Amino acid sequence: MLRNDALRWGAVAKFFHWTIALLILGNGVFGLLLDLASSPMQKISWMALHKSIGLTVLALFVLRLLWRLGNRPPRELPAPRWQLWASRAVHGVLYLLVAALPLSGWWFNSVRGYPLQFFKWFNLPAIAAKNPDLRRLAHEVHEYLFWLLLLVLIAHVGAALKHHVFDRDDVLRRMWPFARLRHGPKGDSA
Amino acid sequence: MTRPATRRLAPLLLCLALPITAAAADYRVRQDQSTLGFTATFQGAPFQGSFAQWNAAIRFDPAQLASSKFDVTVDTTSAGTGDSDRDSALPGADFFNATKYPQAHYVSSGFSRMDATRILARGKLTLRGETQPLNLVVTFMPQTDGTALMDVTGSLKRLDYGVGGGEYADTSVIGNAVTVNAHLVLAPK
Repeated sequence: MLRNDALRWGAVAKFFHWTIALLILGNGVFGLLLDLASSPMQKISWMALHKSIGLTVLALFVLRLLWRLGNRPPRELPAPRWQLWASRAVHGVLYLLVAALPLSGWWFNSVRGYPLQFFKWFNLPAIAAKNPDLRRLAHEVHEYLFWLLLLVLIAHVGAALKHHVFDRDDVLRRMWPFARLRHGPKGDSA
Repeated sequence: MTRPATRRLAPLLLCLALPITAAAADYRVRQDQSTLGFTATFQGAPFQGSFAQWNAAIRFDPAQLASSKFDVTVDTTSAGTGDSDRDSALPGADFFNATKYPQAHYVSSGFSRMDATRILARGKLTLRGETQPLNLVVTFMPQTDGTALMDVTGSLKRLDYGVGGGEYADTSVIGNAVTVNAHLVLAPK
């Protein structure tokens, strides 16, 4: 099923969730390791790849938002009120961070005065004027947003595993690719 | 019917009366109002560079192209592109190799008219120890105060001169084509 239903996320939502998760985590670790490049030219190539992957995340995020606007998420599973609010807050912050990480990178790239090229295919404009005074700040914002993402991710992944292992409910299963639900229409008979 | 002798001799007499204008004029470049630079591309985006130290001997007259001459030397350590990383790399061994080749040198070998406003300069550029033919398009605009403006542009391939060799030779990152340009304010000597 491409679209979400009342019980589980559809294939499109799962694709966006897991693709963005892999790309943003991989690209974040890659970004932290850019200084390991063995030559200036290798660093230039790595940077270009890092930026292109970041732009891919941003594009996927926009598509994901549009898809979500036209496709209601599955019902929230019964839980204490504080857990429902905590999960909404964590999801909201994750959405913000998924957008803020590439955008802060774009901002850093702009104040640094570097060109921005998508996989050697086409160039994107700067979103801020070149400004050497902001270089350091923009770099730190970009990097610390990733640490913040990891922090929020601990809550997100921790909660998903808690539901899966201890509560034995479908919170993780309904986002897991190709998984069967425990309590769904098919899960009951399995 | 033959014309009177004075009329036949008139052109000759006129020539003798005029001051001798066999050679093109030598100019002095007003360095503070003149620029010499280039445009290259990095990751699909153009960037401008300019040289702070250069010297141009310009002898030029659009009506006396045969005796016109450009002789330009450029200090390769003096390139600036507005980016500290790039500017520290440019004089290095991979690019201009300025320690070994501190100067680039352009000498014209001839001029010809392209159209009403443009003149083509043929010549050779020596850069990073490599000498290659380089043609320049010249626009010359005499001013009423005796000075003249001269705009020069030409196109070269950086790899012909070994600028940015080795791993920098990847032209999908650093474009091979480089446009050179100069804007000169010329004062009579």
